[in-house]
Amino acid sequence: MNGPTATDLTLLVPELILVAAALVLILLARRIRHGHVASAATIFAAGAAAIAAGQALAWGSTSGFGGMLVLDGYSQFFKILIAATLVVVALLSAGRRDGKGVPRGEYHVLMLLAATGMMLVASAADLIPLYLCLELMTICSYILVGIRVERPTANEAAIKYFLLGSFASALLLFGISLTYGLTGTTAYAGIAEALSGPEAIRQPLLLVAIGLVAAGLAFKIGAVPFHTWAPDAYQGASAPVAGFLAAGSKAAGLAALGRVYLVAFGAQTPVVSAILVGLTALSLVVGSIMALPQTDMKRLLAYSSIAHAGYALLGLVAGTPAGVSATMTYAFFYVFMTLGAFGVLVALGDRGATLEGFEGLAAQRPAAAALMLLFLLALTGIPPTAGFAAKFVVISSAVRAGQIPLAVLAVACSVVTAFVYMRVAVCMYMRETELPAPARFPAVVSAALVLAALVTLFGGILPGALVQWAVAP
Amino acid sequence: MTGYPMLSITAFLPLAGAVLILILGGARRTRWIALATTVLTLATSVALLGGFDKSVTALQWVESAEWIPAWSLSYGMGVDGISLPFILLAALLSVLCVGVSWKSIRTRQREFYAALLVAETAMLGLFAAANLFVFFVFWELILIPLFLLIGIWGGPGRVYASIKFLMFSLTGSVLMLVGMIALHNATGTLDFKALMLAREGLSVTSQGWLFAAFLAAFAVKVPMFPLHTWLPDAHTEAPTAGSVILAGILLKMGAYGFLRVSLPILPEGVQLFLTPMLVISAVAIVYGAYVTLMQTDIKRLIAYSSISHMGFVTLGIFTLEPSGVEGAILQMINHGIISAALFLCVGMIYERTHTRQIADYGGVVKRAPVYSALLAFFCLAATGFPGLNSFVGEFLIVGAAFDTKVWLGAAAIWGVALGTAYMVWLYYRVVMGEPNPGLSEFKLELGIREVATLAPLALLALCLGLYPELVLSYLRAPVASLLAMGGLP
Repeated sequence: MNGPTATDLTLLVPELILVAAALVLILLARRIRHGHVASAATIFAAGAAAIAAGQALAWGSTSGFGGMLVLDGYSQFFKILIAATLVVVALLSAGRRDGKGVPRGEYHVLMLLAATGMMLVASAADLIPLYLCLELMTICSYILVGIRVERPTANEAAIKYFLLGSFASALLLFGISLTYGLTGTTAYAGIAEALSGPEAIRQPLLLVAIGLVAAGLAFKIGAVPFHTWAPDAYQGASAPVAGFLAAGSKAAGLAALGRVYLVAFGAQTPVVSAILVGLTALSLVVGSIMALPQTDMKRLLAYSSIAHAGYALLGLVAGTPAGVSATMTYAFFYVFMTLGAFGVLVALGDRGATLEGFEGLAAQRPAAAALMLLFLLALTGIPPTAGFAAKFVVISSAVRAGQIPLAVLAVACSVVTAFVYMRVAVCMYMRETELPAPARFPAVVSAALVLAALVTLFGGILPGALVQWAVAP
Repeated sequence: MTGYPMLSITAFLPLAGAVLILILGGARRTRWIALATTVLTLATSVALLGGFDKSVTALQWVESAEWIPAWSLSYGMGVDGISLPFILLAALLSVLCVGVSWKSIRTRQREFYAALLVAETAMLGLFAAANLFVFFVFWELILIPLFLLIGIWGGPGRVYASIKFLMFSLTGSVLMLVGMIALHNATGTLDFKALMLAREGLSVTSQGWLFAAFLAAFAVKVPMFPLHTWLPDAHTEAPTAGSVILAGILLKMGAYGFLRVSLPILPEGVQLFLTPMLVISAVAIVYGAYVTLMQTDIKRLIAYSSISHMGFVTLGIFTLEPSGVEGAILQMINHGIISAALFLCVGMIYERTHTRQIADYGGVVKRAPVYSALLAFFCLAATGFPGLNSFVGEFLIVGAAFDTKVWLGAAAIWGVALGTAYMVWLYYRVVMGEPNPGLSEFKLELGIREVATLAPLALLALCLGLYPELVLSYLRAPVASLLAMGGLP
C-alpha cells in the first residue's frame, strides 16, 4: 500500500482542523493566561470542523486510506454531532467556576484530540483504525477525568476508568484478533463477504468474536454490564468533562456499533440482535433503577445516561438501516438534552453537585429552573421535546422488529426514570431553601444552555428537519 | 366556513398567552393577560359553532398538514358533535379558573397563569385532534402544567399528590404510546378517519391487545376502579383552579379516548372486554358512592363522588346503545359543570376559613345566604334533581343499563340513591344547623367576582336541565355513526 494521497487527506479535513488546533495550543500552552483564549480556539476549531464535515456531504460516499476510512452521510452526521458537542463543552468549560488548577492549554488539547478520535471512529471501516481511534478517544478521556490532580476523587475516578477501560480495550482487541483469524481480514466489507455467501463461516468461535467486539463497544457507550465505570468517572470528573463523556463518548460508541453491526456483521443479525437485546434490557432496567436512590447529581445523570444507552440501542436491535437511523436520531437529541442538563450543573457550581442544591431554585433563578425542567422533560420523553421524538422513533423501530416485550420494558423503565427526573423538578419547584441564590451565570454558559434548549425544543416540534440527515451506512 | 385554521388558533391562543406572560411578567399585568387570553379563546371557540353542521357525522373545521413525513406522521385538527361541547366547556372553565384564582394565588403568579394557559392549550388541542399522534402529544402535554399546579400551589400534601398523579398518568400513557406505535406499524396511519377503514387488517387478538394498551391510559384518567387512588389526593391537594381542570376536563379525557379510539377503531377489542368494563363501571358507581359517604373532608368528598359519577359515564359508553352513549357524553358535560362548580364553591369558602373539615362548618346559611343558595343549587344538580342537568344524563344511562342487564340498572339506581344521600348530607352538615362558633371571625358571604364566577355554571346547569337538546342535538349524528362504525346495534 502506498502512502496517503491528497484525496485521502481531504477525507480528514475536519479531523485535521482539530489536530492543528491541538498542536497550536500545545505549543502555546505555557503562554495562555486566560482560559477563554483556549476555549475560543477550541470553539473556533470545532465550528470549522463542523462546517468542513457538512461541506464534504456534497461529495457523496468515498473512501480512502485503502478503504480503512469512509466518508458518507453516516460519518458526517456523527462528525457534525461531535463537533457540536465540543462547542457546547468548550463553552461550558469557559464558564466553569471550579477551574482552578486545571492546566488551560492541555485541557483543551486533550478535548480536541478526544474529539478527533470520536470523529475518526465514525469514519472507520476497518477494525484496526476503529481500535486505534477509540483508544485515542479513551486515553484522552482518562486524563480529562483526572485532570484536577489535587482532588482525590478525580484521581480515584481516573484510575477506575483507566483500569476498566483497559480491560474493555483488551476485550475489543481480542475480538478483533479472533475475527481476523476467522475471516482473514479486518475490513468491514471483507468480514461481511466472508460471513455471507455459499461458504460462509459458521463457527462457535465467531459468536465469541462478535460478543467480544460488542462488549468492547458496549463499554464505550456505558451499556450494562459494562457500565460500572460511568458513575464513578462522572462523579470524579468536573461537570463539563462528565457531559463530554456522556454525550461525545456515547455518540462515538454508537457510531462504531452501528457501522460494525450493519456493515461487517450484517449477515449475523440473529446473533448480534440477541446480544443487543440483552444489553438493551439490562441497561434500561439497571440504569433506571439505580438512578432512583442517587442524590449526587452527576451520579444521577450517569445512571440516567446508562438507561439512555439502552434506549439508543433499541434502534440497533432491529438491525435494519431504518433502525440505525432511529438510533442516530436518538443519539443526536440525547447529546443536546444531556449536555443541557450537565450545563445547568456547571452553571450552578457547588449547588449543582447534589440534589439538595436544586431546592428552591425556581424561586431564585426561574430561567435556570425552567431550562433544567425542559431538559428533564426531554430526558423523560414528554412531548413536545426532542426526547419524545427520539423515544418515539426508537420504540417504533423496536416494535417494527417484533420486539414488543422489549418496547414495553423500555416504556416501563421510562416511568421509573420519570420519577428520577421529577424528583429534581420537585426539588426545584416545590421545596424551599435557605441557601443563597447562585451567582449570575457567565454569558458563555448561558449561550451553551440556550443552544441546547433550542435543539431540544425544535427537535421536538419539527424532528423531520433532522431525520432526513440520519442515514444509515 | 372560513379558510382560517380556527381550531389551531383556538388551541394555541392560550399557549401564546402563556409565552406572553412569561416574557412580560409583572404581577398585576399577568392576571389581566390571562383573563384576556381565556376570554378571547372562549370567543373563538364559540365562533366554531357558527358554520358547524350538526347533521354531518364527519369532522368539521378540518385542518391537516405534513408534520414528520419521514415517519408518515401528520398534523390534523377537526371537531365533530362529540368534541365540540368539550372544547366549549374547557374554554369556559379556563375563564372561571382565572376568575377564582384572581385573589387566592399570591405567590409566583407568572408561573401559575402560564401553567394554567398551557393546560388550556393541551385540553383544547386534545379535543380538537384529528389524529392519534396529535391526540397523544396533547394528552402528555397536560401532565406537566397540572403536575406543577398541584405541586407548587396545592395544599399541605401537594408534593405527594402531584408525584402520584404524574406517575399514575405516565404509566398509563406510556402503554398507550406502545399501543399507538403498534397501531401505526400495523396500519401505516394514525389518522382517526383512516384508522376506521384500516382496522379491517387487525386480527381479533391484536385488537384485544391494543384495547388493553389504550385502556391502561384511559382507565387511569377516567379513573376507573381500581386505578382511581390518585384522584382523591390530586383533587384534594390541588389549588381550586387545578381541581376544576382535573374534575372538569381531565377526567373526561379518558372517556373521550374510549369514544374516539376504542369504540370506532377497536370494536372487536371492545367486545372482548365488554363484560369486565361493565362490571368495573358498576363497582365504581357503588363502591365510589359508599366511600364518598364516609368522607369528612369536603374536597375529598367531592373528589370521591367523581369516581362514582365517572362510573356512570363508562357504564353508559359500554352499554353500546345510542341512548347510553349519548347519556354518557351528556353526563360528562354535566359532571364537568357541576363538579367544577362544587370545587369552586369549596375553594371559595376554604380561602376564608382555611379548613376543609366538614365538622368545622355548620349553619353557614345564616352567615352567607347567597353562597348557601348557590351551593344548594349545585348539590341538587349533582344528585340528579329533575329540571337540572344531571337528571337527563343519568336517566338516559340508567335506562340503557336496564336494557343491557337488569343488575347493571340496579347498581346504577343504587348509585343514584347513595349520591343523593351523600350530597344532601354534606349540605345538611355544612349549611344547616346552628352556626359553628369557629366561623364567626370570617366574612363568609361571596363577593361579586365570585358570584360572577359561579353564575355561568348555574345558568348552564339550568339550561341543560330544561333543554338537554342543547347538547344532545350535537351528539345524535356522530353517536349513531360511531355505533354503526363499530358494527353494533
